[in-house]
Amino acid sequence: MIRCEGLVFDYPDGTRALEGLDLRIEAGERIAITGRNGSGKSTLVRHWNGLLRPSSGCVLVDGVLTTGRRVAELARTVGMTFQDPDRQLFAGTCGREVAFGARNVGLRGAELNEAVDDALSVVGLAEKGTQNPYDLGPSRRRLLALACVLAMHTPVVVLDEPTMGLDAREIGRVESVIAQLAATGRTVVAISHDARFVAASFERVVRLDAGRVVADGPASPARG
Amino acid sequence: MAVTLPLAVAVALVSIFTQPGGNVLVQIGPLEATLEGLDFAAQVVLRLFVTAAALTLFGMTTAPRAFIVDLERRRFSPRLAFAVGALLETVPLVIARARTVRDAQRARGLYTEGGFLRRVAAIVPLVGPVVIGSLHQVEARSLALDARAFGRPGPRHMLWVPHDSAFERLARWLLILGLAAIAAGVSVGLLPGLP
Amino acid sequence: MLELRSVAYRYPGYRRPALDGIDLTVRDGEIVGIVGPNEAGKSTLCLVASVLAPASIGGELTGDVLLDGMSVRGQRPHEIAGRVGIVFGSPTSQLSGITGTVLEEVALGPVNLGLSVAATVARSRAALEALGIESLAERAPDRLSGGQTQLVAIAAMLAMGSRHLVLDEPTAELDPEGRQLVGDALGGLAGSGTAVLIAEQDLGLLSSICTRLVAIDGGRLVFDLPIADGLRDRRLVDLGVARQAVPA
Repeated sequence: MIRCEGLVFDYPDGTRALEGLDLRIEAGERIAITGRNGSGKSTLVRHWNGLLRPSSGCVLVDGVLTTGRRVAELARTVGMTFQDPDRQLFAGTCGREVAFGARNVGLRGAELNEAVDDALSVVGLAEKGTQNPYDLGPSRRRLLALACVLAMHTPVVVLDEPTMGLDAREIGRVESVIAQLAATGRTVVAISHDARFVAASFERVVRLDAGRVVADGPASPARG
Repeated sequence: MAVTLPLAVAVALVSIFTQPGGNVLVQIGPLEATLEGLDFAAQVVLRLFVTAAALTLFGMTTAPRAFIVDLERRRFSPRLAFAVGALLETVPLVIARARTVRDAQRARGLYTEGGFLRRVAAIVPLVGPVVIGSLHQVEARSLALDARAFGRPGPRHMLWVPHDSAFERLARWLLILGLAAIAAGVSVGLLPGLP
Repeated sequence: MLELRSVAYRYPGYRRPALDGIDLTVRDGEIVGIVGPNEAGKSTLCLVASVLAPASIGGELTGDVLLDGMSVRGQRPHEIAGRVGIVFGSPTSQLSGITGTVLEEVALGPVNLGLSVAATVARSRAALEALGIESLAERAPDRLSGGQTQLVAIAAMLAMGSRHLVLDEPTAELDPEGRQLVGDALGGLAGSGTAVLIAEQDLGLLSSICTRLVAIDGGRLVFDLPIADGLRDRRLVDLGVARQAVPA
């Protein structure tokens, strides 16, 4: 589903963020990407929807090179949430916020409404459809951002730190969302520092360090 | 430039059509574009660009910390000094924020390339998060700074003072004298002034 | 010693109190952990304990907040800065952005308090040493890791002479190494007599450094127990704080 071959990325100031990285992700896998801050995790995943372009090497999404394909187009295949959910919230109501992405990928009418309602209820915000996103606390805004990407029905879902700042109940909700995504055959990739969440929800863990893959294998069983 | 240009265009359009005058160039419905309007618009736009250029030059050549330290040394209110310095710092922060907001919205399928109208429509989902987020950031920062006594009145003993060379002092005096001379020349009629 | 007595607090413009009937004491050398579901009032409690609420953000406070036995009601933030310090979850929002080195950054607080240059430098260096980050003194503040930035934020408060430290989810945005760094530093601080109040989601961190655990929900205290008892309490699961009760 996603392939990176010899992926190298240099920042404009010359620092190398990714060093000839190779990675292969099959459809339907659930993968966690771990590593210390600055190891290249966010940089890596931003190549999959075209937000970043390789300095050398290549990235293939669903068998097709990402070169020449627009972000908005790749976003139909690879949906993504970001570490700071507030960077995207702009609509007057949660419902419109969730509808934004879904509409951009082509959903309309009854299909759109259903996608929005489903997404909001699966993250536990069913009754918040008409509320302003900023009336929700920061942790629920993170759940709202998750709903936004769910409504887009993308085959691949990439989550950057989906459990940051969430309490245990909210983390449980994210875990059940991921289980549902997996049950429908979608590919889920999450960047996370939460070892317990990783062990509970992901079958494969890819660890990065200084722009390279240093470990790639099954998740270790949950402790305690 | 990204900020000044749209502003300049907006101001120019308004001026061209609303300035009273007799030499009508173009008529669009009830609106008349006059020569006087064009003249006025040109001056306003020129002033706008000069001001923007001056501010940019200031921002590029002044280290915020030197500026703040110096203001405090000269007994300006520490809060004022900090506010000004924070302003200088804010611009790159807002620009960086705008970039990440743009990324987030593109990842949700927003087209930012394309024709003019499409680009204009793309601005809507960008403005809110940039402004609100920046405001939140400012709020969070000011709380943290309150806790570090930034609002405390009274003298401070700075750790270091910005280096003020003889050359810089001379340059400052020459600039001030030059400005005074120009102002005097204009008021006396030796130099053409702007209406 | 930090005390909250029958504290109730309402944010400006809100009718319902965000905190109600809070009685809490943190003695010198104690590390008290605050847990609760999101929007229970943990952050509000931190703002009240550090006097920023209502002094900086407005709102209405009833009851009393005391530092070392003296009430600080009605005081301005800069009047009690230097007695109680606060650290927030977002590392970068606590940097002033106007300093070139970590030492200068940490020195901002003492400078604002009007201390002499000698006293400022001495205090700042001592604060860095107390946290084991003297080696960072000449580094640029914006080029540190998240964990290091948080330590600088803590040092910045200590340098002002704060004997009381309030931390609002300081490790939320940190990777495991950063969390370790902060946890170790806090453990060391309490050893030197600082009273520490820390709100956190990370029960593992709290279990390794706290002496007591306080749970809140809906702005009210649920329990206030020694750490081992608190971690075993079933109510942690009910509140949605623990995914399952931590075994003894």
